[in-house]
Amino acid sequence: MNSSFLDRLLRNWLTLRRPVSRLQAIGLGVACILLCLTGWWLLTQGAAESRLVGPLTLPSPAETFSKFSELWNDFALTRNVLVTLRRVSIGFALALMIGIPIGVTAGCFPRIHAFLSPLIMIGRNVPLAAVLPLMIFIFGAGEKNKVMFIFVASVAFVISDAARAIMDVSARYIDTAYTLGASRWQTISKVLVPLAAPTIFSACRQMFGLAFGYIMLAESIKIADEVGGLGYQIQIFQRRGFREHIYLIILVIPMVALVIDQVLAWIQRQLFPHLYGGDGMLRSLVRITVIPWESLKSLIFYRTPVSLSSAATEERPK
Amino acid sequence: MSQSPAQVVGMGTVLDHVRTPQEVALPHVVEFRNVTKTYNAGKADEFTAIRDVTFVVEDVVGKGEFICVLGPSGCGKSTILRSIAGLEPQHPATSGEVLVLGQPVVGPGSDRGMVFQDYTSFDHRTVLENVTFGLECLHTPRRQRDELGREWIHKMGLNVATDAHKYPHELSGGMRQRVAIARTLILKPRIILMDEPFGALDPLTRLNMQDLLVKLWKEVQATVFFITHSIEEAVFLGDRVYLMSNSPGTILEELKIEPATSSANEMQRQPKFLEAVYYIRDKITKLESNQ
Ligand SMILES: Nc1ncnc2c1ncn2[C@@H]1O[C@H](COP(=O)(O)OP(=O)(O)OP(=O)(O)O)[C@@H](O)[C@H]1O
Ligand SMILES: [Mg+2]
Repeated sequence: MNSSFLDRLLRNWLTLRRPVSRLQAIGLGVACILLCLTGWWLLTQGAAESRLVGPLTLPSPAETFSKFSELWNDFALTRNVLVTLRRVSIGFALALMIGIPIGVTAGCFPRIHAFLSPLIMIGRNVPLAAVLPLMIFIFGAGEKNKVMFIFVASVAFVISDAARAIMDVSARYIDTAYTLGASRWQTISKVLVPLAAPTIFSACRQMFGLAFGYIMLAESIKIADEVGGLGYQIQIFQRRGFREHIYLIILVIPMVALVIDQVLAWIQRQLFPHLYGGDGMLRSLVRITVIPWESLKSLIFYRTPVSLSSAATEERPK
Repeated sequence: MSQSPAQVVGMGTVLDHVRTPQEVALPHVVEFRNVTKTYNAGKADEFTAIRDVTFVVEDVVGKGEFICVLGPSGCGKSTILRSIAGLEPQHPATSGEVLVLGQPVVGPGSDRGMVFQDYTSFDHRTVLENVTFGLECLHTPRRQRDELGREWIHKMGLNVATDAHKYPHELSGGMRQRVAIARTLILKPRIILMDEPFGALDPLTRLNMQDLLVKLWKEVQATVFFITHSIEEAVFLGDRVYLMSNSPGTILEELKIEPATSSANEMQRQPKFLEAVYYIRDKITKLESNQ
């Protein structure tokens, strides 16, 4: 009886890859957070001397959260988050703007890929700890070195992921496009890029998360003037011994990351309705912006298709 | 090749030999002159898929011919089809000439439309956008091509109102193949190449698709090359059937088939239809046991 109940429970809860309802997923996530909080509370309860873990290592939840208003007001949390976000966004956007076209080209033309592969190899394996001082030498103490750091840290990955995504599109789509009369350029722009786009987008979404981590590394290098940003703040807290603040920042960062990731996920869903369902708002938007451009091209290049004339029969040799 | 002179088998007539380009007076739509294709030539894994293939498809005035290609698996049917399409790596041939309307094939083009066995719908495009892809490449104005697209969606037996804006993953296999066929036919290609297009469909859908294909083929007047493993399908659809030998493949026999007079389902019960089918089946069984 007991074992069969356990059996049933296990069967129900641990069925291979059975989808979880959204409500249950959130509930389970909350349960995990509560469990961690309880563990944290248990480890740090009581007077400072009698705690399992001393306050110097881990302040109690109450102590930590009581510092939140200080972090928010005196240390301008929002401003610092925005400063950090701006740096990482500019650097990453730059990496996308340069990396995706190069990556797509490399994916389409193996010769170009072969030519670029040493650079991609170096870029992917470049030690970030060495890039940082170099960027400071080259771009000085201002914003530029941080933006460029993010750019250098991510561009090679963007290139290789974009190239990979294009190369992974099955050759049969190219064959199909060609037999429907598409030119090479049309095959790239109408078939290869749109089919690879979801993969490229996912890869970039993940990389943005990584870049968000890298930027704090760059910010934690202290140079003459005040730089701001989360990494810089952490540095200050470290020097002053503000443990609570550091723990709070550790909690804040994933939340910021979560919000950004949700925004990106929304964009992804709206761009690729063929994968994620829905009405594809952004896809429609993209298409609407292409229509005038396309009509212009129709005006210039339009040839009467054989299907609209009797050309098909006329052309036949008699 | 020493074979008995033309032999009648039910609806079919087995020609005494596969016709060569020199013998055919009418203009040639497709001709192969001693075509050999060796994959990975010069490497350790080199493999000759077809050897010395010669045949000709004539341009019958007022209607294109429907050619079916039958043969054991791996004998080089797709190789021949893709050579006509001009697709790599089958194109270019290792030796010999592939000519379309008297001109050597230099690469793929929309004059030779192709329908593949596996569904190659562009997943990111709706049904309508898939069907009008070729027109889009010709820079046909949007309104004009959407209108034509809807017309073809309707002709293929799909529902314009409900299906036109679906994405391929929302369609059944049969519907996807209808989209693929519409996408090809809308361009009115001179030659339509079909590589087992109905291979993955259930028998009933398959019969319906055969009837539909015959109807549309008459309308577009193209020469069709149709590869299939189903002998019934070949005899029903084909004006001509090519039987291929084991690899390295050559064309072993050419059959001329009387045009079908009724629907696929009814034709398949007639004795003379069956006689042709049995003849071919025996041939292929023999070929496969010799493998
Ligand atoms: N790209 C390739 N590289 C090397 N060998 C190939 C290639 N394509 C086909 N072959 C070989 O050539 C032979 C003929 O292939 P093909 O695809 O033309 O056969 P098929 O008659 O279409 O077979 P099926 O009925 O199974 O589709 C096969 O033995 C196959 O292994
Ligand atoms: Mg094949």
